[in-house]
Amino acid sequence: VTRCVAGLAEVEMAELYVKPGNKERGWNDPPQFSYGLQTLAGGPKRTPLTKRVAAPQDGSPRVPTSQTSPGIPPVGPPPPLSKGSRPPPVGSCPASGVEPINFPVIESETLLEDVLKPLEEALEDCRGHTKKQVCDDISRRLALLREQWAGGKLSVPVRKRMALLVRELSSHQWDAADDIHRSLMVDHVTEVSQWMVGVKRLIAEKRNLSSEEEADEEKSTATVEENQMAPGVQEAP
Amino acid sequence: MATYLEFIQQNEERDGVRFSWNVWPSSRLEATRMVVPLACLLTPLKERPDLPPVQYEPVLCSRTTCRAILNPLCQVDYRAKLWACNFCFQRNQFPPVYTCISEVNQPAELMPQFSTIEYVIQRGAQYPLIFLYVVDTCLEEDDLQALKESLQMSLSLLPPDALVGLITFGRMVQVHELSCERISKSYVFRGTKDLTAKQIQDMLGLTKPAMPMQQARPGQPQEQPLVSSRFLQPVHKIDMNLTDLLGELQRDPWPVTQGKRPLRSTGVALSIAVGLLEGTFPNTGARIMLFTGGPPTQGPGMVVGDELKVPIRSWHDIEKDNARFMKKATKHYEMLANRTATNGHCIDIYACALDQTGLLEMKCCANLTGGHMVMGDSFNTSLFKQTFQKIFSKDFNGDFRMAFGATLEVKELGVGGTSQWKICGLDPTSTLGIYFEVVSQHNAPVPQGGRGAIQYVTRYQHSSTQRRIRVTTIARNWADAQSQLRHIEAAFDQEAAAVLMARLGVFRAESEEGPDVLRWLDRQLIRLCQKFGQYNKEDPTSFRLSDSFSLYPQFMFHLRRSPFLQVFNNSPDESSYYRHHFARQDLTQSLIMIQPILYSYSFHGPPEPVLLDSSSILADRILLMDTFFQIVIYLGETIVQWRKAGYQDMPEYENFRHLLQAPLDDAQEILQARFPMPRYINTEHGGSQARFLLSKVNPSQTHNNLYAWGQETGAPILTDDVSLQVFVDHLKKLAVSSAC
Repeated sequence: VTRCVAGLAEVEMAELYVKPGNKERGWNDPPQFSYGLQTLAGGPKRTPLTKRVAAPQDGSPRVPTSQTSPGIPPVGPPPPLSKGSRPPPVGSCPASGVEPINFPVIESETLLEDVLKPLEEALEDCRGHTKKQVCDDISRRLALLREQWAGGKLSVPVRKRMALLVRELSSHQWDAADDIHRSLMVDHVTEVSQWMVGVKRLIAEKRNLSSEEEADEEKSTATVEENQMAPGVQEAP
Repeated sequence: MATYLEFIQQNEERDGVRFSWNVWPSSRLEATRMVVPLACLLTPLKERPDLPPVQYEPVLCSRTTCRAILNPLCQVDYRAKLWACNFCFQRNQFPPVYTCISEVNQPAELMPQFSTIEYVIQRGAQYPLIFLYVVDTCLEEDDLQALKESLQMSLSLLPPDALVGLITFGRMVQVHELSCERISKSYVFRGTKDLTAKQIQDMLGLTKPAMPMQQARPGQPQEQPLVSSRFLQPVHKIDMNLTDLLGELQRDPWPVTQGKRPLRSTGVALSIAVGLLEGTFPNTGARIMLFTGGPPTQGPGMVVGDELKVPIRSWHDIEKDNARFMKKATKHYEMLANRTATNGHCIDIYACALDQTGLLEMKCCANLTGGHMVMGDSFNTSLFKQTFQKIFSKDFNGDFRMAFGATLEVKELGVGGTSQWKICGLDPTSTLGIYFEVVSQHNAPVPQGGRGAIQYVTRYQHSSTQRRIRVTTIARNWADAQSQLRHIEAAFDQEAAAVLMARLGVFRAESEEGPDVLRWLDRQLIRLCQKFGQYNKEDPTSFRLSDSFSLYPQFMFHLRRSPFLQVFNNSPDESSYYRHHFARQDLTQSLIMIQPILYSYSFHGPPEPVLLDSSSILADRILLMDTFFQIVIYLGETIVQWRKAGYQDMPEYENFRHLLQAPLDDAQEILQARFPMPRYINTEHGGSQARFLLSKVNPSQTHNNLYAWGQETGAPILTDDVSLQVFVDHLKKLAVSSAC
């Protein structure tokens, strides 16, 4: 199950991965699931493994159905795949590989300006409406983002997802942009933590600004309608 | 319903309730003779995606000593608009809003399928959720860095209007004033001296609670109350500054010399956190989240001194009364826990270290307040990071799964008064064990209607900040144990009974000697078998248990070997951790903890459950074992050889590749769903980590009796532990003996 939207498919699927845990710090550290996998709602659930077998009432241990003697070499090959043999049920989880799925870069590289410019423009939009200190703070972090990007410090998945975030932001899809920021904080916190909170705030401020603008528009539409009732309104030359 | 199993399952799905007995013995004497008490496991906030809450308040019985809530068991006179309380038989008038109800137009709360229903309380102010981070800075550099990043990440997961605060500690305790100014200010406290709540509040300049100044008017959309304090600010306002503040946190600057532990003032840090919340936001949902990387080593609540050569107490030390700091430290944390619970707040403990951190002494903080306890090796592990992320996971409605400030009321038929408990922190899997006492006299007639009823009312603060009430009303038939024992027997829920008895056992183990608890458990099991087994006296081979009891002895066998009752293989902290989770999980997960699940994967068919027995360990099988705290995948010897030979890469042996993959996929699904995240062990025949599997399985073949059963299959276990077979044989002998 993948959130496949045309055009976003590769980027979306690349974010459903499982990485091994930190073997140095915890030899039995469980694998790490990406944000995408963690937030997958439902999906085909395999039968939960919760059944038990009762011990036989007469007390002797159950004789297993297949007997093999211990200490086995040499042993023949496993049963081959044939019409007759029953393959065990296949995992239905979308990604079970241990390595992050690296998609070959077939399209052009995400350009720095494609990401930074819309962000800086969004910030400019907010300047009249948001406190100066907040704008300065956001601006500082965007500068840091620019510096890190230009210095090659950001990985491909981060750059790709930022492009996606900016696209959503520009289309006023606040929740989607917010979700992408969250996925980056969860999956790539080391890379993004210094500046991502500025992007997060920018999304929030743009959202506020936009809803205020909508409210103003509704008010002014009502006023324009009122004015149009009065005769003799002239356009400015 | 064809069988009781279906009845039990349907009731659990609908009401989140599992009773040990689903037909109730009608007298007190008979109830005690049943051995297993009449009790239930209740999951008050069980996730019910199919149950939308109703947007009105519940109708209450007018009798002041009753106040039961209108439910499907009530008799209703639709013409006269009256209802009879099924608990006290009081006749009540329906409120005016209910004038239009009729047989064909019933309110939801009268319909049988709404035996569990949730109400949303519209009136009253809604307060934001509060998160107070209490952070140990005596960590290794990379550990501290990982923790800082996790905390920064959490700011993206918190709701924008939640309040957040930060206290850091090491040798000193620092309370950070959160502001949007560039200069960050903090109040520093000595870590050696405890302070009273008033002293803390005075020193921090908190003269009165910072509660909202306005009450929301009913019917109006909620305005954001002007709530905050200098130390607890809304996320949307403070996230950038707090991100920077967290990023700039340094390791505790006090140098730690060779052979010493860092001076860690956990006791005072927690005390200040509790006092801060007490003085600013009493009686609203808040979490104190303690992150610690080692034991408290100074001040009140210290658990060990700073000399490394003096180790932290073990179970042996405790048994020999050689744990210097334990009593005093426990008392300190109990005092804090009680105050926190009174204030309606909860305390989480996130302890990540290779050595113990004092969970034994601090456990009451999590246990009494309904907070979490997470134990890991380091903050720089996936186990901690993902477990922490899961705290902020959202349900099908996009709400957090955490609930606050709950009170649970249990109401029973006929008995005056209600029992009430406070649970400050709750989530959809939190499960309580409630034990009942039948009070009817022996030979008193079975109550009118032949059914007993119980109502559970949970009032709580939902994570969306709404106040809600969840009401569950259930009924079960009474029966006379003398004439209807078969009915009672058929309605026995052995799974629920096992967990409920286990909880009793673990509770006893906290204050009694280990061997005494085992003896008690054994005695109850023997009595149960004597009462409900079918046998001829003095003839053990004739002994049989009906289906509804068939798994019970096995559960008891595994419970006796479990880390909940066998403490000497674990540290006191580990035991506290295991017991903490056992005391709160739902039935399915609790059973997994008592008797781990074992599934076998092979070419012979789909994965199947197998006996937790060494005879299940076979060369051509892959085993998946789930103990709740660990997921173990074990490859049999032949599987290992096939894998070494590379058959999985050959297209004609694709089914082998699938076989290798299937348990990994199943394990992944468990790992994704479970809180806390379990450890993950992928091992094979001969691997050193195979010991995790071998120690759990019943040793039906040991070096003592390898050839006793006349077969040579399965892997021998090197232990002198008694096996299930020996245990059951002995049990049968004792059950059929007239001497017992």
